[in-house]
Amino acid sequence: MECQEEKPIIYTMENKPIVTCAGDQELFRSLYTTLAQQLPREPMEWRRTYGRAPKMIHLEANFVQFKEELLPKEGNKALLTFPFLHIYWTDCCDTEAYKGSVKEDMLRWQNSLRTHASPDWVIIVVESNDNKKKNKTNILPRSSIVDKIRGDFCNKQNDRCVVLSDPLKDTSRSQESWNSLLLKLRTLLLMSFTKNLGRFEDDMRTLREKRTQPGWSFCEYFMVQEELAFVFEMLQQFEDALVQYDELDALFTQYVLNFGAGDTANWLGSFCAPVRNWSGLLLRRPIDMEKRDGIQRGEASLLDLRSYLFSRQCTLLIFLQRPWEVTLRALELLHNCVQELRLLEVSVLEGALDCWVFLSCLEVLHRIEGCCDQAQLAANCSHTVGLWAYATDKLKSLGELCGLVSEKGPTSEDLNRTVDLLAGLGDERPETVHSLQSPYKKLKEALSSVEAFERHYLDLSHAAMEMYRAIGRLRSARLVGKSLAEFYMRKGDAERAENFLQEALKSYVSEGWSLPVTHTRRQIAECQKLLGRTEDYLQTSALLAGDVNLSTEERKHFCQEVLTYAGKPGDQSHKVTLSMSVFTELTRLQFHPAKASVHSGAVLQVELTLRCLMPVSVHLQQLAASIHFEVNHGDTLRRSKGHQRQTNQGTVEFSLGSSATGGMPASALVPSLELDEVQDRSPTDNSLNSTAVVCRNTHLLMRLHDSSSSSSSPPDTPNCINAAPVAMKEGAQMLKVQDVTLEPGNNSIILTAPSERPGTYILRQLCVTVGHVQFVLPHIYPSVQYDVYSQEPQLTVEPLSEPLLAGLPQMVKFTLLTGHYAVKKGDALQLSNTETMPVFPSSSCSACILSPADELVGESLLSIQASEKVTSISLPPTPPYHTLEFQLQVLCIIPSGSQRLPNERLTNGEVRHRPRSYSHPDTPMAAIDQRMSIDCPWSIYSTLLALTFYIPFKTKHSLLSAGNRKYIQVWLRNVSDVNFTLADVKLSEKQQASLELQSLNTKTQQLLCSRHSVFCLWEVRWKDDLPLCLQCVFSANFSPLNQDVSAFKPFHYQFQLERVPTLYSVKAEIFPPAGEQHCRSGLLCGLEVCITRLTEPAEAELAEDSKTDSDGLKTTKLMYEVADSSSNWAVCGRSSGTVSMPMAANATHKVQIEVMPLFAGHLPFPKIKVLKYLPHTPSTTIQPDPDSCLENDSLSLLDKTLEDQGDTASIRSRGSIHSVGSNEHQQQRSSTMPRLEPFSPGQVFNHSQSQQVLVLPAADDHIIEVNAT
Amino acid sequence: WRVGIAVIAKENYPLYIRSVASQSELKFHYTVHTSLDVVEEKISAVGKSLGDQRELYLGLLYPTEDYKVYGYVTNSKVKFVIVVDSSNTSLRDNEIRSMFRKLHNSFTDVMCNPFHNPGDPIQSKAFDGIVSGMMVQTG
Amino acid sequence: MADEAPFQFLHSEVIQYVFGASDSGDAETGRNITKVESMGFRVGQGLIERLTKETSRFKDELDVMKFICKDFWTCLFKKQIDNLRTNHQGIYVLQDSKFQLLSHLSAGKQYLDQAPKYLAFTCGLVRGALSNLGVKSIVTAEVSIMPACKFQVMIQKI
Repeated sequence: MECQEEKPIIYTMENKPIVTCAGDQELFRSLYTTLAQQLPREPMEWRRTYGRAPKMIHLEANFVQFKEELLPKEGNKALLTFPFLHIYWTDCCDTEAYKGSVKEDMLRWQNSLRTHASPDWVIIVVESNDNKKKNKTNILPRSSIVDKIRGDFCNKQNDRCVVLSDPLKDTSRSQESWNSLLLKLRTLLLMSFTKNLGRFEDDMRTLREKRTQPGWSFCEYFMVQEELAFVFEMLQQFEDALVQYDELDALFTQYVLNFGAGDTANWLGSFCAPVRNWSGLLLRRPIDMEKRDGIQRGEASLLDLRSYLFSRQCTLLIFLQRPWEVTLRALELLHNCVQELRLLEVSVLEGALDCWVFLSCLEVLHRIEGCCDQAQLAANCSHTVGLWAYATDKLKSLGELCGLVSEKGPTSEDLNRTVDLLAGLGDERPETVHSLQSPYKKLKEALSSVEAFERHYLDLSHAAMEMYRAIGRLRSARLVGKSLAEFYMRKGDAERAENFLQEALKSYVSEGWSLPVTHTRRQIAECQKLLGRTEDYLQTSALLAGDVNLSTEERKHFCQEVLTYAGKPGDQSHKVTLSMSVFTELTRLQFHPAKASVHSGAVLQVELTLRCLMPVSVHLQQLAASIHFEVNHGDTLRRSKGHQRQTNQGTVEFSLGSSATGGMPASALVPSLELDEVQDRSPTDNSLNSTAVVCRNTHLLMRLHDSSSSSSSPPDTPNCINAAPVAMKEGAQMLKVQDVTLEPGNNSIILTAPSERPGTYILRQLCVTVGHVQFVLPHIYPSVQYDVYSQEPQLTVEPLSEPLLAGLPQMVKFTLLTGHYAVKKGDALQLSNTETMPVFPSSSCSACILSPADELVGESLLSIQASEKVTSISLPPTPPYHTLEFQLQVLCIIPSGSQRLPNERLTNGEVRHRPRSYSHPDTPMAAIDQRMSIDCPWSIYSTLLALTFYIPFKTKHSLLSAGNRKYIQVWLRNVSDVNFTLADVKLSEKQQASLELQSLNTKTQQLLCSRHSVFCLWEVRWKDDLPLCLQCVFSANFSPLNQDVSAFKPFHYQFQLERVPTLYSVKAEIFPPAGEQHCRSGLLCGLEVCITRLTEPAEAELAEDSKTDSDGLKTTKLMYEVADSSSNWAVCGRSSGTVSMPMAANATHKVQIEVMPLFAGHLPFPKIKVLKYLPHTPSTTIQPDPDSCLENDSLSLLDKTLEDQGDTASIRSRGSIHSVGSNEHQQQRSSTMPRLEPFSPGQVFNHSQSQQVLVLPAADDHIIEVNAT
Repeated sequence: WRVGIAVIAKENYPLYIRSVASQSELKFHYTVHTSLDVVEEKISAVGKSLGDQRELYLGLLYPTEDYKVYGYVTNSKVKFVIVVDSSNTSLRDNEIRSMFRKLHNSFTDVMCNPFHNPGDPIQSKAFDGIVSGMMVQTG
Repeated sequence: MADEAPFQFLHSEVIQYVFGASDSGDAETGRNITKVESMGFRVGQGLIERLTKETSRFKDELDVMKFICKDFWTCLFKKQIDNLRTNHQGIYVLQDSKFQLLSHLSAGKQYLDQAPKYLAFTCGLVRGALSNLGVKSIVTAEVSIMPACKFQVMIQKI
């Protein structure tokens, strides 16, 4: 920024090492120029003492005429003025002249040198041909003069005398001699340097060692060491020169520190003198002589010394091309000086130092600009910017000090202060008098007026900021910006101020530095208030009110700011909208009920947990959450989806991660990577090629990284720097509460959610209203939603107690879920009756109404009218989504036995379904499904409900015979788990009046426990003759144990017996062998079977037999068979045969068979079977009767009885069962073959049933093996 | 304050920040935050200048009239900043170094502590103790 | 790491523990792999903090990767990575021809299907170490013949 109109000249030190010249001045002058030029041309290596690295240096010399007084006096340590070499010039070439004058002169010269102990001399003899020509007389050989001189002066150091031949000729010879001369001179000079400097340095050191002694003075020592520095500089050894100054610097610094530490050096006194002049550094002279003199005189102030020292260092650094080091050292220096003055407790006029620093900064900068071009400067901002910033600060504090930063200019004492400060600047230095932009002028001007000050200050600030920006030190730039902002604030220019503050704030927020954030934000608040930017101000205030870095008082203040505005009277229409995050945080949302899915019209509550950031409790007019509604098709499906999205059980946690202190790592934003393993199998054989760990969501991570990298900001402080204008979407459905008060910290607020229309409700925004102020949460994330569904009414019926027993009145429970249907008065359920399951409308039948939450809300009597077709149950009025429960008593009639009902049609035309019993896998009881059809008011279709009943009993019957006498046995088993009492067991015959069934059962009532059975027996009595077939009905009353008589219910069991009368009797007898008392095992004995016909054949039998009537003989063919199942007997010969029985009563037939007992003991008789023998007939008439077929599989009860007969039959003969069981099939199979047909049980009576005979063991005590065939 | 110590995360937010006296705590925060400029400069300067052997210790970041700011960066790009009052001249460079070393060691322990979640502000009492110790000896 | 043996055993047990329970379901496996990797991540973070305490600042990404291959690996597995390759576009492939955590499983194809479980942790270690050094990355691994295996580091460029 400094314009280039004046470039400070760099003064080089013109003093060079002094070389005196004695002798022929004429001659010397003739050679001087060449010599002066030639000497520095060749560099010389300078070997140095104290192990310092040798250097190549170009020697220059300042040739002066020899004078006595040039020679150093005793004790004079001056080096600059020290003659390092003495030369004597002569060109005399004849002995006379030499002897005459020259020698004398030389002697004098030598003596004076010797007296001053200056051993560095050389004699140069110049010879040229032309002066030879001058006087031809007594010419000596060239060498002789030189030899003489050498002889006379340089005893055995001949090199002290040098010949220079034909110096002015341009011949190789003259060149040669020049070179050797120059070399010689250089060598001698160096030798002299080394010697003298060495000595000087030694002295200097000894002096330094004395520094602890009382008399010692820093200033003296300073002068000494600087002398050395000068010499080095003179020799162009700037490095070494600098070292001298640095040593001095360090030494002084150390003294000051020690002073601080307590031990003072007396000489420091001068430096502790109050600061009178603060004119800043002066870097435009190589040596600031006035300051130097001050030091020499020991009158320099600390600032003087420092300034001088630095100016020297600066000069040397610039010689060394290290300008940037200058700037750095400068900054250090300035800081250091300020510190040292403090440390030494030097009294300084307030602001004086600021002036000094300010001037110094600018001076340094100018100096640097002076020796670098723009490009370099630009490239090295980083080195200069510090100074700029420092200067800016200082100027600012000066401005404040002098009252130049206030809206109303400086006061009188401000002005006095200013005057004093300016006085301390003294007059402007001559170097800069002519430059318009000199630091001096700048400062004077800046302090002269408010405007000027502003101008300069802004210039500097902007310069500093730009440089900082240029080198990417944005934070520093912003900090400068901030102080600039403060300046503007003081000037009442809030607008400018805010921009800078905002920029700074951004970076603090984004980098999560909460304290600066708070501070800056507070300043911003101030600006915004001044600017009357209400919204922003409120926003900021709210933020501050919630800022934990502030004291409670401050927070309360800002909170109050917001509330007072909110509370201002006026139209409520215009509202200020602020972001909710500044006011309160939604931390948690909970649904009640938790599943967040209710039927339409049901109550759904949403509980919000709000963390209020305000320091005091705040009253809200309203808290509302806007909703987005979508109708969804496929209710259930959507509902389940909703659940997935919802977090565990209707609770959503909102992680704002806005912790009061410390930022969260940005990684929180990045999604976690998902790994997986993969297997790479070879396509040919399925063997594993390789396996790997892979990343499933690479693309995602990569992409997200890009986006997040830009803003890796910790969500530490609410990121809204400005109140983002967030409007509340109006018109949408809302959840609302009015008039709630938020306490500081966590609050829980309950809202009731609208739930009329079925569909999905998504919570979108949250809005809090406090008077004129609205705080809006623009997006609720993660998204929260609830579902409302609607449900059809449902009617169900279930047993009150499992299992439902048929035959007894049972309670069943009807449950009606009303769903969306509201049961109105007069609504009724219409049960169409079935006689298989009558309903017993009990008068005291009441219904209870349950709320969705299953608590009882009402109870009322049911009125039930039963007509013969329908039973109508009129329901009490019930609201939707309630449950209506009532119980009815029904009875399932047990289908009894074989009774046949024609399939008649119902009135409504549908085939009446006849309930069928079937055996149930998991209970021994036979089950019956009863269906009822109910017409409901909410539907045109009738609802079908099914109940399953179980028959508690199993029954069997059997016909027993004793000769002609007949007995009927009924077996009743209680297969249920209930104990019953059984009463008035009866057996009746339907058709035959003549018939009498005489009960042989004693008890009228008896207990029938679960899983137990009773047997009942009746003897059949008849008058004339016994009917072929009997239709029996077994009936009993039963009731669960210990209930009164009224509770008895009937149980019926029908069955029919066929072919009841006995046709044949069979008698068997066993005769021991002849002459034996008893049978003996192993001996044949006779078996006589006697079959007797007992009755005249009945018509039925005749009809039956007439089929077989082939030869017209009225006979019936029977077949007998002796079969010994238990292999006690060996039948010898024919074991079976047919006999034809005449059709007359008492017709008898005897059969003789030989049998042999195989064992001894009381052996049962062998079995004797008698069967009907029907020879072959081409009969097709015996077809399986379709009706009976139907009977057989339809009336399964009957099936059972059939079987059972078989069973009972098997008591007598095994063989018969199977044939009986499947006679139809036999018929079909062997209709043409002759066939056997068993007699039904009771048709044949065997006398010798289970009769035994005694068999003695065989006479000879061993058993004969017999192959029983 | 005579001295202040701050630990700053990779992402430049403070993990731990403490200064002796609280009245100028704010200024301390500003100073540390601004010093990040220089830290970043020095870090990015790695390799450019041949001379640097890439020490973790970044040396004096910048001096100001009242204090000196020293920097140190771990390989995990966590920065330590020590701010010392300029009047505190007793403090030598190698002392600062050893302070940083101590800090780094302690910080490493914190990092290896399962109860510390990397990136969170440092809560460790042990670390706090170390820091307090330094404040006492230098303060 | 005083001695690698305890680490090896502990590692195996961890794998057993995590996977042992439910070896069914690919989703499950994936989740477990991720779980183990994230364990590794945390360990890597801490470990690298400790290991780089004495070392000088890294010059660049490659410098970091070299450290991982040498010092880091040596500290963990008593050997260096045998081969490091890069495409100079943020992808590095680290080859360990005798990866310690596999070497005691098998030499060849046996148990190859089980191998990934035993790599997940190390993937995490590397990712954790790198991320703590300011290098965001995704680390995957591959085995075709045990105990050799390859780790691939994909750097997320900023």
